[in-house]
Amino acid sequence: MLRWLDGRLGIAGLARKSLKKVFPDHWSFLLGELALFSFIILLATGVFLTLFYRPDAQLVTYRGPYAPLQGQEVSAAYESVLRISFEVRSGLVMRQIHHWAALVFVGSIVVHMMRVFFTGAFRRPRDVNWVVGVVLLLLGIGAGFTGYSLPDDLLSGTGLRIAYSVLISVPLLGPHLAFLAFGGEFPTEGIISRLFVMHVMLIPALIIGLVSVHLAILWRQKHTQYKGAGRTEGNVVGKAFWPQQVMKSAALLALTAAVLAFMGGLLQINPIWDFGPFDATTVSAPSQPDWYVGWLEGALRLFPPLDLTLFGITIPSPFWPGVVMPGLAFTVMGAWPWIERRVTRDEAEHHLLDDPTDVPIRVGIGVAGLIFFGLLTLAGGNDVLAIMFNASVEQITNVLRIAIFVLPASGGWLAYRIAASLGNNKSNLLGRKRGVKLRRGPTGGF
Amino acid sequence: MKPERVVAVAFAVSIMASMGLVGVYVSGGQAQAEGALLGTALGGLGVGLAVWSVGLLPSRTRSEEREPLSSDDALVDRAEDDLHPSDITRRKALVRLMAGAGGTLAGALAIPALSLGPRPGQDLFTTPWTAGARLVDPEGAPLRPGDLVLDSVTTVYPEGHVGSPDAQTLLIKVDVQDLEMPEDRIAWAPDGCIGYSKICTHAGCPVGLYRAKAHELLCPCHQSTFDVLRGCSVTFGPADRPLPQLPISVDEEGFLIALGDFTEPVGPGFWNMTGGGG
Amino acid sequence: MSSAVSRRVSLVVCLGAVLAPLSVSVAAEPDGRELFIESCASCHGSEGQGTDAGPSIIDAGAAAADFQLRTGRMPLADDGAQAVRKPPAFSPDEIEALTAFVASLGEGPEIPTVDLDGADLSDGQELFVANCAACHGATGSGGAVGAGALAPSLSVADPVEIAEAMLTGPGQMPVFTAIESEDIQDIVAYVVHLREQRAFGGADLGGIGPVPEGFVGLGLGVACLVAISVLLGSKRKRDEA
Repeated sequence: MLRWLDGRLGIAGLARKSLKKVFPDHWSFLLGELALFSFIILLATGVFLTLFYRPDAQLVTYRGPYAPLQGQEVSAAYESVLRISFEVRSGLVMRQIHHWAALVFVGSIVVHMMRVFFTGAFRRPRDVNWVVGVVLLLLGIGAGFTGYSLPDDLLSGTGLRIAYSVLISVPLLGPHLAFLAFGGEFPTEGIISRLFVMHVMLIPALIIGLVSVHLAILWRQKHTQYKGAGRTEGNVVGKAFWPQQVMKSAALLALTAAVLAFMGGLLQINPIWDFGPFDATTVSAPSQPDWYVGWLEGALRLFPPLDLTLFGITIPSPFWPGVVMPGLAFTVMGAWPWIERRVTRDEAEHHLLDDPTDVPIRVGIGVAGLIFFGLLTLAGGNDVLAIMFNASVEQITNVLRIAIFVLPASGGWLAYRIAASLGNNKSNLLGRKRGVKLRRGPTGGF
Repeated sequence: MKPERVVAVAFAVSIMASMGLVGVYVSGGQAQAEGALLGTALGGLGVGLAVWSVGLLPSRTRSEEREPLSSDDALVDRAEDDLHPSDITRRKALVRLMAGAGGTLAGALAIPALSLGPRPGQDLFTTPWTAGARLVDPEGAPLRPGDLVLDSVTTVYPEGHVGSPDAQTLLIKVDVQDLEMPEDRIAWAPDGCIGYSKICTHAGCPVGLYRAKAHELLCPCHQSTFDVLRGCSVTFGPADRPLPQLPISVDEEGFLIALGDFTEPVGPGFWNMTGGGG
Repeated sequence: MSSAVSRRVSLVVCLGAVLAPLSVSVAAEPDGRELFIESCASCHGSEGQGTDAGPSIIDAGAAAADFQLRTGRMPLADDGAQAVRKPPAFSPDEIEALTAFVASLGEGPEIPTVDLDGADLSDGQELFVANCAACHGATGSGGAVGAGALAPSLSVADPVEIAEAMLTGPGQMPVFTAIESEDIQDIVAYVVHLREQRAFGGADLGGIGPVPEGFVGLGLGVACLVAISVLLGSKRKRDEA
């Protein structure tokens, strides 16, 4: 077959080089693959669901097998998701795998980014790919949110309503933006088909495009590697792409799919028949988004009542936690390689990874950030926490309002101290001088 | 057990599970069985491949030289020159005009995006409530003050607009003696029938939760809490404005009616809400 | 409908039939008054007029008394706390007598009769989501309603208790009198259906939406996959050669 291809494309040389390409042997390099494989499963199950889903807000009378909804006027979208769940054979398992895969997709992106961050893999020349990754995280969250909203059930409608309220809060432009995005004052009939186009076409196309760019850059720049015997800035040590890495990745793809299949079959997720169809005048509690939007929900819950009116222009309080905070967060995240470079003045290329303890300050900042977003995410479920801890929602909220400042700072400081002392111990063991922090020579290696 | 045998068993398990999956599908489908069998089929395949790759493949470690990513400066300079041929760069005025043409065209092509939605106009400032509109329950039945029991709460709409998202109003029956509000506002609550917009002033959720003994409304989305006896002022949570109160009276037939629309915009805030719109 | 439920329903139907005439001539029921003075009057007053420690229950009616006593909410375990379900402090006969006595004090709702046979499940679903789900959750799992108050789970309340709660608004719950009597039957039928319904998609994770789903997605899903990556990517002894 290769001969046939080579006769047309002349790729034997390239193929040889590619097949022998070296992949470093460390489990943490597989985390990004988890995200890729969850995405593949999302595409596969998503195509199946798209064949049955109807992006239509038109009201129809439900006549399916689920007794408590029979005879009710529901949107065609909601009806079609009920049909997928109760009438289409293997529809329910496909839907549930798709939903679990979405939770795991964003989760593995985050875990992968943590590895990249703490080992300094985002430094030149991979700063470009870090930015691509941050955009992919954004797109992943966007894909998730638009998908969460498609069934047109009570819970997802509540999420859309909050998104509308955040959009409308933007000074000067808010009402126009919200009316353009939703096609009028909430609730609108048109929003379902718009979300559908975003969810099944626009966002997946962008993700596929950017994943390709992400991998192409990776291929061109070659992998980073951890420090170790025989590993320098000038080489890559590991296993060949074929057959070792391909086999391993194929195994990981199958096992990722297996875990998601078990979850999709055995753990119920988003039972929209319990929530009922969307109705703009009702709401159920507890009311939450999927976990990766939880930090925004939590920020909305914690932020104090603070509608400012200056010169006749009101800035409603949801603007700060709903627009400014996430905008800042993603800007800082995307610009991190340049921010760090500005502080360390380290312009050099890096292909050897830091041991996280080499740069305790980075550990401290990373841990502080994780605690911050973790607490916001918890705050998004403050009413559920209230039941778990047998406290009042007000107590939980007030505790979190303080914790959101105290814990990231103290946790980050603690992480910094621990990383610094671990780093010192290690360098002492290696018989080197103390004070490793911020020591970042352009050429690493031992 | 030798790796070969493990791999063989794993693949065999996978084949059986896949066949089982087909069986379940043909016999009508069952979500839990499908998930478990699909998981087993994929898991068998995955375990087989994993053991194969870890246990049976040669584990020789290879090393690959990393050529410098950056080219030498002279090459970059030449590429820069190729990118900016002088016969284009020296026609500065034309280049600028071309950019202007492109930019203007892009702007013109973006204009149809405005078709996506109407201009907000007065939509955010008005609701279907009008002077004289009877308050009706979700079934469309008009209400008299005597129909309501103390501590009850009903969602009401202007007659003819049942289900209206921006007119939805909570009608709560309280003891008039308990109200601690300006006289003119108490006058809007005949017999203690007091009405507030059901749309949260924070993020627009329906404020569906009434703690009757405490006379507090709570929004289940972000826990903004409103004191019904004190004009729905905020006692907790992220909302900053009270829920707007509906001016209510009783018509000559004894039914509850609105005296007019809400006197301020309902729902989440926006920049010109205090300006009265335009 | 399960047989246990229907048995209890018919029991209460009978009870209601017996109580209706009782409430007219209840003054002749010494047992109830005695029990009331003994166990309730210290807070609610000897004639149910209320004291500083407890509200007036003159117009509470048989429905409220029956609900509070049968679910063990009254007498309160400790002052100030939200009344919670516990084993009843009185025998069924005593509850009957006390209920009759409270009913005689004023004009409150009678114990409703619940007959789920002709109930409209779909109507019940719609009304439940519109009126009950904001506090008790879409699956009736209960929820925090602020200020430390809890809307209890509906998984153990029997049909008559659910109907009584709607009519009398115990604790922080509002009174739902605008809802007509057949609507109440429909809602009760839906609540009963909710807890008997199988979770079609597998384990239901508490039926409280995305929070537990998120914990499971990260704590089980992502954690499993990271563990698999570690196993798959860790060095083998053979590699060192």
